[in-house]
Amino acid sequence: MIEIDDLHKRYGDKVALDGVTFSVRPGEMFGFVGANGAGKTTTMRILMGVLTADSGSVRRDGKGLTFDDRRRFGYMPEERGLYQKMRVFEQVEYFGRLSGLTTAGAKKATGELLERLSLTERANDAVDALSLGNQQRVQLAVALVHDPEALILDEPFSGLDPLAVDALAAVLAERCAAGVPVLFSSHQLDLVERLCDSVGIISAGRVVASGTVEELRDREGRGLLRVVVRDASPGWAASLPGEVTEKGDEVLVAGVDGDGQEILQLAVKAGRVEHFGWQRPTLTEIFREAVA
Amino acid sequence: MNGLWLVARREIVTRGRTKAFVIGLVVSAILVAALAFLPKLFSGPDSYTVGLTGAQSQALGPALSAAAKDVRLTVREFPDEASASGAVTAGDVDAAVVDGRRVLADGEVGGELGLLLETANQSAQTQRQLSEAGLDPAKVAAAMRVAPLEQVSVGADARYAGVRVGIASLLVMVLFFLLIYSSMYVAMGVVEEKGSRIVEILLTSVRPWQLLGGKIAGLGALALANMVVIIVAGLGAAAATGLAADLPPGMTGIVVSALFWFILGYAFFAAMAAALGSLVSRQEDANSVLTPMTMLMMITYLVAYFAAVQPNSPVARILSLVPPFSSMVMPVRMAGGEVLLWEIAVAAVLMLLATAGTLMLGARIYSRAVLRTGARVKLSEAMR
Repeated sequence: MIEIDDLHKRYGDKVALDGVTFSVRPGEMFGFVGANGAGKTTTMRILMGVLTADSGSVRRDGKGLTFDDRRRFGYMPEERGLYQKMRVFEQVEYFGRLSGLTTAGAKKATGELLERLSLTERANDAVDALSLGNQQRVQLAVALVHDPEALILDEPFSGLDPLAVDALAAVLAERCAAGVPVLFSSHQLDLVERLCDSVGIISAGRVVASGTVEELRDREGRGLLRVVVRDASPGWAASLPGEVTEKGDEVLVAGVDGDGQEILQLAVKAGRVEHFGWQRPTLTEIFREAVA
Repeated sequence: MNGLWLVARREIVTRGRTKAFVIGLVVSAILVAALAFLPKLFSGPDSYTVGLTGAQSQALGPALSAAAKDVRLTVREFPDEASASGAVTAGDVDAAVVDGRRVLADGEVGGELGLLLETANQSAQTQRQLSEAGLDPAKVAAAMRVAPLEQVSVGADARYAGVRVGIASLLVMVLFFLLIYSSMYVAMGVVEEKGSRIVEILLTSVRPWQLLGGKIAGLGALALANMVVIIVAGLGAAAATGLAADLPPGMTGIVVSALFWFILGYAFFAAMAAALGSLVSRQEDANSVLTPMTMLMMITYLVAYFAAVQPNSPVARILSLVPPFSSMVMPVRMAGGEVLLWEIAVAAVLMLLATAGTLMLGARIYSRAVLRTGARVKLSEAMR
């Protein structure tokens, strides 16, 4: 388990991190979301040891992360970095060797990974001859080549076409299934909702909400009822307790206390109840609410 | 150590494969080899044909043959002045002597041939006038024969002074060229990695000193290979042209010391280049941030150039001990003249210390600055 505990970081007068705390379990895909400048990249850079925190710690299974731990992590920084003039195969192999693979092991892993990412035909091309999407795949290959024990990916999906997104998602899911903790940041909330087991929302240097996607939706959904009543007399909902929004037959009631049974009874009296239930917000709605 | 080796190997493979490196290698070797051929190109032809006509000219034949020691001389006789003149115009002979008085030539007879004709004429006339005065030329010649003064140098061995200055000047150029271009590559490589943020990934797998050391070692190995190629090309060409016979003794020592001092100088300047390069994130900013290094290199170059011409002047002697000037001045002095052993020892120890210090300071600045992307990092901030 990777634990990020009470990280603080300031740049001059600007507070970048103000007590960031969360954890990623083995085999868990953790989506890290937040507005620009909220502190995602700073957190990930501290996690990878590229930046030092003013205070707080990053641990794995209770022990502080060392250089050797991180060497076996896979990391994709926010701003992509590759040697533009170096050939694709050699580059991926080189990073594999740097992370401790043998020559033979690095060659084998590189070959398999390029195959997996549909880059085999470009293996001997220089990186700068590749499209941006393909460069992104090479970047991912660099992060994955040494079969990392944890994956820390900063915006891995940005700039990818839908097919590449699926390919990357499949690779990440596979690593997760193998018990690797995967932490990635993204602005594509629908993607995070679809892929991730857990989500952390960061705003102004603090994690304002975190947990599994289901937990978050349940928690944030509490208090918002969606009721659909057919053939009801107009205006039946006006007297309901709470903040009411009417859209045709659909009524949304926000700020409901208790279990809402009284509202159900009123609805049944008003007409034919077709739908009655707590409205679970999408991640996007939770996010807007959380960072507001 | 493994990380350092991997980084160095990448530098060697990727850089050594570029067109720029291969072209630089070939061109520098050709240039130095061409310099060895240069004396031959400017020395003119080494064989002449001289025509003789008229009775008075006949005596010149043996005198010419006696005077021509280093060149091959062919003498052709002509029945009259007209035919001799025709042969000169046609280019069959380089010059023709008429009646032992006049020289016919297409233009001016100069240089070696002029001197040759003058000498032969003088000795032929002297002989004739001595016989006319009733003296035996053989006896006079015996009486006139004197032993030439033997030169003994009580100071430095001055016999090869000219060649030594030539070698030393060449060495200055080669050292400067290799030092500046390989240090520049170190700086450019550092900026490339910092600017593209590859360094973030690299530094999660290797330590800063491994990354820095590997880069310096790898590019240094290439520069050293270039240096060896230049030396081999130069000495090979010297052997081919026969120039090698004129080279001073102890060439092996000169070559070994040049390589030794090159390694020290390179390590010093490369560490400086890496530290300065790590302060900026864009190639456009690299030149200005490197100015202190290029200035220091230029000064070293000028001082070394001066030392090549005046190897025993006080300035050259003092600066050959002071790092980093010693890295170029000392090998140049050693090529250009005699250097005392203690001077070499002191210079080597001081330069080794300075290089070790620069490497340590450079690594410190580098590891602090290389991850701080964005605006240029102040040197004072990186050192704190």
